[in-house]
Amino acid sequence: MSETGGIVFVVDDDEAVRDSLSLLLESASLQSQCFASADEFAEHYQGGMSGCLLLDIRMPGKSGLELRDWLDQQGAQLPIIFITGHGDVPMAVDAMKRGAIDFIQKPFSDDELLQRVQQALESEAGDRADRAEADRVRANFETLTPREREVMQQVVAGRVNKVIALDMDISQRTVEIHRARVMHKMGVRSVADLVRLASFLDK
Amino acid sequence: MPNSSEHASSFAEARFAALLDAAVDAILVIDSNGQIETFNRAAERLFGYQSVEICGQNVSTLMPDKYSHAHDSYLQRYLTTGERRIIGIGREVSAMRRDGSVFPVELSVGEVATGEKRRFVGIIRDISERRASEQELRQQQERLEHVTRLGTLGEMAAGIAHEINQPLTAIATYAHAARRLLSSDRMDAVRLDDVLGKMATQAERAGQIIERIRDLARRQSPSQELCDLNAIMDETLKLAEVDARYHDAPIVVEMTPGLPHAWLNSVQIQQVVLNLLRNAIEAGGAGTKLKLRTYARSKEELVVEVEDNGPGVPESLRTEIFNPFFTTRTDGTGMGLSISRSIVASHGGRIEVDAAPTGGAVFRVTLPTALGEIDE
Repeated sequence: MSETGGIVFVVDDDEAVRDSLSLLLESASLQSQCFASADEFAEHYQGGMSGCLLLDIRMPGKSGLELRDWLDQQGAQLPIIFITGHGDVPMAVDAMKRGAIDFIQKPFSDDELLQRVQQALESEAGDRADRAEADRVRANFETLTPREREVMQQVVAGRVNKVIALDMDISQRTVEIHRARVMHKMGVRSVADLVRLASFLDK
Repeated sequence: MPNSSEHASSFAEARFAALLDAAVDAILVIDSNGQIETFNRAAERLFGYQSVEICGQNVSTLMPDKYSHAHDSYLQRYLTTGERRIIGIGREVSAMRRDGSVFPVELSVGEVATGEKRRFVGIIRDISERRASEQELRQQQERLEHVTRLGTLGEMAAGIAHEINQPLTAIATYAHAARRLLSSDRMDAVRLDDVLGKMATQAERAGQIIERIRDLARRQSPSQELCDLNAIMDETLKLAEVDARYHDAPIVVEMTPGLPHAWLNSVQIQQVVLNLLRNAIEAGGAGTKLKLRTYARSKEELVVEVEDNGPGVPESLRTEIFNPFFTTRTDGTGMGLSISRSIVASHGGRIEVDAAPTGGAVFRVTLPTALGEIDE
């Protein structure tokens, strides 16, 4: 089991279900935190939390689906696995359509649950790494001068120095200098890497 | 001027006759002996007699035997006591056509006294259609009530399923977690004891939920009455035939007449058999052939069988199929047969399933008779 550092947030109104889930997660060396209601979790929620949500779809007060919508509005990036009961399948399908990554029906097998939690944590960790890289790329890009940005765009578009020089009406030597600075400031060694970073800027 | 007065009177009579014949309702006039004097066109159409052949006959000819014998005495009583039972009131009664068919009518009666002679005018309106539509409406209401009753049962079952699922989920999850922790040597005896205690608590919680449902079922169970099983099956068929026709699944009925009576809750027994018929239709789909059979196995036991030519029930599932939440349908609650089994058990009977000779399933409900308590 890979280490993602994420916490599993368990939201279920049933104390025994909550308690047993946290024991099961512990048995798989996963960290968890339990909440008795959607509101309790909402109070605790902070942007930038990492991990995933194990969310009971049917709860008194704010339902699991309502919490999902609220988290959406907060721009939360936590993946959600809905826990559904007998006969909640249509509700779960609805949740899936609206972007929940998974759902699991009660009573569940431990392997199935843990596997899905692990997948959710990995996917969230991957997204988080991507976001961190995108932030870094954007910060680096900010340090480029307008001229350097122009050169970078031409390089990424696949143009050779001669064409860029002609297009920008500057010498090839100047293009080479700008290009070297771009590579240095963006922290890459090849054009291929630069192209990959440029894709983050579009997001 | 006798001539002119005679003329006037015959003119009045002609006008009266024209008026009578134009009337939509059947109108007839009888004398104090009950003899028919006048019979209008609408009456001819309604009863199938010609005016000429019926006039002079007793009005009881137009009534079914049940009433016709008494009519003369009613008439006599009114003439002697003046006590009005129908005159000026109007009521719904039965009438009989020439061909002997009986139909419901609304009858209003008025008295005409001319000189010494007393006559009675009867205005008769055929209300067969109104009755039929009332009857249809009543049957629809009954069907609706029944469906609602079954629906409530389904909802209750879904609620129960959800409630019992909680402790079951907790128990299973505790057990899985404990095994994992044990296998990786992270579980000591003290902690295991704690987890086992929690599991026991959850099992008790599930037991309490079931106890609550039992209480509910006990409270809702109305009393049993001494019944004719075949009569209950007749009622059930009325409800089932709507479904059966819709799914093109004809029901062949083989009821043994003269079965001994039994102490039954007719609504519950209807529910059981209706559930079996519906299951058979659902399992076999359109075109399923169904048989509903009743017979006495002995003096002590009555049997209802529902047979189909559908896919049948594999031998390995013939016990399991009666367990709560067992279902082969995605939208099923899996409670139908389980509730049926409880109902039959509360009657001191049993329910089982076998293979039918046609390869389908035959569900057999065995019920005890009211042995020696009644001989009808």
